[in-house]
Amino acid sequence: MGTTASQLGKDVLSEYQELTFLTKQEILLAHKRFSELLSKEERDRPDTRVPMEKILTLPELKSNPFRQRICQVFSTSDRKDGSLTFEDFLDLLSAFSDSATLEIKSHYAFRIFDFDDDGTLDTGDLEKLVNCLTGETDETRLTTDEMRQLINNILEESDIDKDGTVNLSEFQHVISRSPDFVSSFKIVL
Amino acid sequence: MEETVNFMRLLSEESTHSTLSSDSCEYYQTEIFDQLPSIQASRPEQNRHGSLGGCGGSEPGQRLSHDHLSRGPRDKTSVQPLRNLPMCIQAKRSARDRRKMQISNIGFWESWRRSQSISRRRVWAQMGETLSGLLPWRHTLHVIEGRFGVGVKSYFVFLRYLVHLNLLHCALISGFILGPTTFYGRSNNSEPLRFGDNDSVLDFFLGSGYLDRSPVFFGFYTRGSLDLPCLNTPLLYLAGILTILLLSLIMVVRRTTVGYKHTWMLGKRYSMNVSFKIFCGWDFTIQDPDGAALKRSFIRNDLKLFLEEQSFSLRAAQRTLGQKVRLYLLRFILNLLVLSLLGGAFYLIYFSTKTSLYEKEHYWLLSLVLQYLPPMTITFVNLVLPHIFRKISSFEDYSFTTQVNATLVRSIFLKLASLGIYLFFLTTTKQQQSPFQCSENKFGREMYKLCIFNFLATFCNAFLLNYPRKLLQEKYPTSLLTRLLGKQRFLVPFNVLDLVYGQTVGWVGVYYCPLLPLIGTVTLVATFYIKKFSVLRCCVAEQRMFRAATSSVLFHLMLLLGLVMAAVTLGFNLYQPGTTPDENMFSCGPFRNGETLFNVTGLCVDSLPGAAQTTVRYLASEAFALPLILAEIIILTSYLSRRRANQKAIERLKDMLVMSSSDKRFLVKQHATMLRRGKNVNRVRSAEDTPPIHWKDPPPCI
Repeated sequence: MGTTASQLGKDVLSEYQELTFLTKQEILLAHKRFSELLSKEERDRPDTRVPMEKILTLPELKSNPFRQRICQVFSTSDRKDGSLTFEDFLDLLSAFSDSATLEIKSHYAFRIFDFDDDGTLDTGDLEKLVNCLTGETDETRLTTDEMRQLINNILEESDIDKDGTVNLSEFQHVISRSPDFVSSFKIVL
Repeated sequence: MEETVNFMRLLSEESTHSTLSSDSCEYYQTEIFDQLPSIQASRPEQNRHGSLGGCGGSEPGQRLSHDHLSRGPRDKTSVQPLRNLPMCIQAKRSARDRRKMQISNIGFWESWRRSQSISRRRVWAQMGETLSGLLPWRHTLHVIEGRFGVGVKSYFVFLRYLVHLNLLHCALISGFILGPTTFYGRSNNSEPLRFGDNDSVLDFFLGSGYLDRSPVFFGFYTRGSLDLPCLNTPLLYLAGILTILLLSLIMVVRRTTVGYKHTWMLGKRYSMNVSFKIFCGWDFTIQDPDGAALKRSFIRNDLKLFLEEQSFSLRAAQRTLGQKVRLYLLRFILNLLVLSLLGGAFYLIYFSTKTSLYEKEHYWLLSLVLQYLPPMTITFVNLVLPHIFRKISSFEDYSFTTQVNATLVRSIFLKLASLGIYLFFLTTTKQQQSPFQCSENKFGREMYKLCIFNFLATFCNAFLLNYPRKLLQEKYPTSLLTRLLGKQRFLVPFNVLDLVYGQTVGWVGVYYCPLLPLIGTVTLVATFYIKKFSVLRCCVAEQRMFRAATSSVLFHLMLLLGLVMAAVTLGFNLYQPGTTPDENMFSCGPFRNGETLFNVTGLCVDSLPGAAQTTVRYLASEAFALPLILAEIIILTSYLSRRRANQKAIERLKDMLVMSSSDKRFLVKQHATMLRRGKNVNRVRSAEDTPPIHWKDPPPCI
């Protein structure tokens, strides 16, 4: 399937519409933006991978503290380098689109926050997450005491089965109660 | 109840501590942990990746669990649309191929039905898309959201909602009131509407003269040639107004309950506050680097605030009796101060209303000022007092959130109560006016003035206050005045309060001034652009951002309050005794010549056939109210008991979850120790003869 041909075929387009939450216009726009990241000769080759550094120059991702994690989660590369094909890019946009369901969004959010890819959010993940949110530098970071108090609070609230970590269903349980999440977990080109 | 909570907390603390120690590491690093069905179910895609790429050799155990697992989710996923599966596109393709095979197996009828349902869903999705494309201002909202976050956007969404509401009102008005009036004509003796010699532009501000005769006000609509007992202009007029109020009530209540459901779930019962702040903290729509930095600092401040408040409540619990007494005394005095300020404000409004109502002929400018005195007073009071309230609440030694909420509640009370007071004085002092003047028009005129002045205040605030202030800041960033004024912020709650106030005025006035929704629509659209200008041009993003969901409940609750107030005012005005028997009173509007709302509807009911008549009379009687109340009580009781049962079930399920989780942990640990023991045995044996084949080394514990 000529996935990254310079023009998207009609059948490919309708297939993408079926498999993602994106509309026709959004897919075309995504294709345009993705092609801009490629050099001229790369454009004609299907399944070209764009390295993570280039993806991160998109203004939609540039100021996002989780940008590298986002690329890593959506990348299908075997080398785990966070490079994206056009289809991976569509996956990303689909999960972050307006019409994606809460379930999809929370699933990907969990994987983005799971920094060590072990399937649960443990204290290390939570600490990294909080640091991402508050800023990485020394003066913006919370003190160790504050961090401990905070993480204890989080686990107290959302670790329902009391095993010391937050797993996917617990995470979704928390997220499903937040009406703000769907509106803020969104990247629209 | 309290004891169980304590017990739970104790338990949880203990367990977190125990798992934070070294053995938790063992638990998550063991091999069998990855093979647990619960873990595999939570990450189907990682599994797939694992089996495709990394470890090619599929172990029997893994396959077993995979097969075991695949039965469950597949049943569920086969009905889900493909896009709802959390996998990459390639995986979705293969899933689709699998499904196609399934479909070919299941026969023609079923496959046709499925493809039909898919295409139907697609048509619905497309229709929804085109409909949402019709919503105006999407781009603007996107820009604002990108720079100021969800909170400020929610203000604009609320504004757009109000525009839609007013448009709906306009449609109803033109259907029920304007349409019949244009088709069936007004009463024959009316002169054509013309901009006369003694009319001036000032009339557009005062609502007098030319506007008084125009379709803007109640007096224009007279009983036309449409004169059946149950289908005449007065009845249609009444039906139009009632439909508007009822429809608004339904819409607002619906939005409020939707929002309330969310907030209730967010509420203290489940106390998920910190988790929300962390897990839903980042707003992924932010693109601006400055906005991102701001959001970061906001989250940091918010977290620090939370931690501080935790210790504040700890400190508050340790206050001595003397401190408590002193504090309560202080709060009492400050509340007295607030009350006296409110009282003063209300007296000011009363005074201005009185002066304005009894004004004599003056020079035109003076008369304009006098006419606009009450709206001006109300706006002025509402501009100044909230800031004083904010200062006062900082002395009360509340926690920060309580301070903000206290200020907000006081301001809401001030705003709506000042309007209410004004309305009250207006209705009670109505009797003393001159004859040969339409009293309904007079009331409508006041509402018209309030509406116009509200808009003028918005306009002036943006272009005469905010914009020059911003210019001053840009020109002389270091001057004393600039530093004194500080940066401008967009205070969402107070702005929303303005909108609610305007809408309340619209609802109160719609009976007396049927074109008010149209005027409201126009002013709201203009307000949108003015506010857009002042936000994007003059304001910096707020330090303390508003959470969208909780605030939207507050917005709609305020709107509901406004609607209730409007309904009460209208009912009071219509039901006012003593207006009907007055013979020399100049009557106007659709209800003329001693007709009132009650005898018009009464005539209609009388003309109905027998059965319908008795039904209507029964519905209006007290005999109907009793069964109605009983039915409501029964329904409410059943819901309450269901809620209680659900609550108990939740508690029990939670307990079960904790138990099963600890079982799992115990078994995994047991397995790990057995594994280790087996390995040791093997190692001992392997030292003697052969290397081990059966057991893989467990991954090292980091």
